Amino acid sequence: MVGTKRHRELFGTYLLLLPSFLIFFLYRIIPLGWNLLLSFQKWQFNRPNLWQGLKNYIAMFQDGVFWQSFYNTILYFLGGSLISIILAIGIALLVNRPIRGRNVYRSIIFMPYPLTAIAIAIIWRWLYNEKVGLINYILRMLGIVDQGVPFLQSFGWALPSVIFTSIWQIVGYFMIIILTGLQSIPDVLYEAGIVDGVSPSQKFAYITLPLIRSSIFICFVVGIINSFTMFDIIYTMTNGGPGNSTEILVTYIYKNAFTFSRMGYASAITLAMFIFLLLLTWLANKLSGGEAGAVHYYG
Amino acid sequence: MVSRRTPKIVAHFILFLISLIMIVPLYWVFKTSLTGENLLLYPPSLIPKNPSIFYFVDVYYAIPFARFFFNSAVVSAVVVLFNIVFNSMAAFALRREFPGKKLIILIYLSCMMIPFHATIIPAFLLTKSFGLLNSHFGLAFPLLSTIICIFIFKGSFDAIPTSLIDAARIDGMRNWKMIYKIFLPLSKPAIATNVILPFIWSWNNFLWPLIIIQKQEMQTLPLGLSRFNSLYEQATGPLYAYCLMVVAPILLIFFLSQKNFISSLISGAVKG
Repeated sequence: MVGTKRHRELFGTYLLLLPSFLIFFLYRIIPLGWNLLLSFQKWQFNRPNLWQGLKNYIAMFQDGVFWQSFYNTILYFLGGSLISIILAIGIALLVNRPIRGRNVYRSIIFMPYPLTAIAIAIIWRWLYNEKVGLINYILRMLGIVDQGVPFLQSFGWALPSVIFTSIWQIVGYFMIIILTGLQSIPDVLYEAGIVDGVSPSQKFAYITLPLIRSSIFICFVVGIINSFTMFDIIYTMTNGGPGNSTEILVTYIYKNAFTFSRMGYASAITLAMFIFLLLLTWLANKLSGGEAGAVHYYG
Repeated sequence: MVSRRTPKIVAHFILFLISLIMIVPLYWVFKTSLTGENLLLYPPSLIPKNPSIFYFVDVYYAIPFARFFFNSAVVSAVVVLFNIVFNSMAAFALRREFPGKKLIILIYLSCMMIPFHATIIPAFLLTKSFGLLNSHFGLAFPLLSTIICIFIFKGSFDAIPTSLIDAARIDGMRNWKMIYKIFLPLSKPAIATNVILPFIWSWNNFLWPLIIIQKQEMQTLPLGLSRFNSLYEQATGPLYAYCLMVVAPILLIFFLSQKNFISSLISGAVKG
């Protein structure tokens, strides 16, 4: 009797796990394998797919647009994430101080983060507009430019403009992550620093920075994922243009798969993107000393 | 270097400037949605002149707004509901010891490393083969359970004393009743996170609807907004009114429960 009861309980446990497991199995694990399979095939509508070995991968390595998107993805990460994190550290240090209205500042700076990316992209398209955009209006008013700058239509400006928009959206989020790190630093350490007579910059370099390292690492990983997946903003603001100057891997995958119907080729790029993403995340983990989340100030 | 010695006035000045950069675009949208004017008007006025809700009404009838809103709301409601049920079930199971537990946790953690964007092609083909293209359920399906939210429930469930559960078991309480009567009532913050995160992911979702929805009457709000933008790019007033109506529910939740909202999003920092 005891045995059957135990079996029943075990069965119940597996049953409880079944729904969530099924969803991850269907929409994470199966797609990963299927994607690998597709990357060796030529996808055909309503006909069986053709095996073609490494042809998609060879085509990928010879495709200039692929390399451009690859390069741009790195630029989004380096430009967007690094600047956002540095800005976020500065802002977090400011709003961590006991100044009046700091909660209001925090809320305002955080506010753009959860908003729908499509809406944000449309708003910024207008801000960047050559003739009627607010940014060009201010630049002309200040006498910095005579003619409006076509930010999103020019090869040189499109990429930085899109990156700026993504910084605008995410910096408040990074600020909050770093703020939680700052707040976990015990005051005792700063008091000890004062006793030892350290300068403000030493205090920052030797007390603050090492202790918010895990928060910075979290920001890095979020930044990596964000720069690989910022489809919505680019699709709406530039759709990869002008030329392919703002194309990133995920927008190029979308175009190949759902505009040009080259599912096999798109799968090969997807796999490359996924491996690259894992590699970067792993590297970030290594660089942080592999101790994300662990704060040890006694060691 | 920012230090405690920096005068407060400087700190206020910098923060005020940054806040301005954050607020002005949103204010501009708000203003334009009420007046329809853009910067063609020189000099542009800061305060809306003759504000009216004309453009909100205009866009409401120009597109099937009510239908899009209904689609978004239904999908988000389904996603939130299923997340609470499925995630709490999984977290409850993971509280026990059973053969294969370590493997299950390993699989879940690995799945977290697979971003949705790296699965779109097979996910599309799979959903197509289920016959779920252009359906509410197809939109909600991949989001019905989310790993990070399982672990949020697990963290909360693990803190509940075992004696309570033993007592309930002696009373002959069934699993689902235990979750419903003991675990969920003691995990209010975890529930809040399980509402807020899936809601935002679902409400803001764009790529997935873009891929699997072809019929106009099945479009969600962000997809409809994107189409509207490409069709009527010059119609600033209605376009901005639409933008505001899409982000309004999120702003509403943000202002109603700021603390829960921010802490939920922080715990979602490692979402995959």
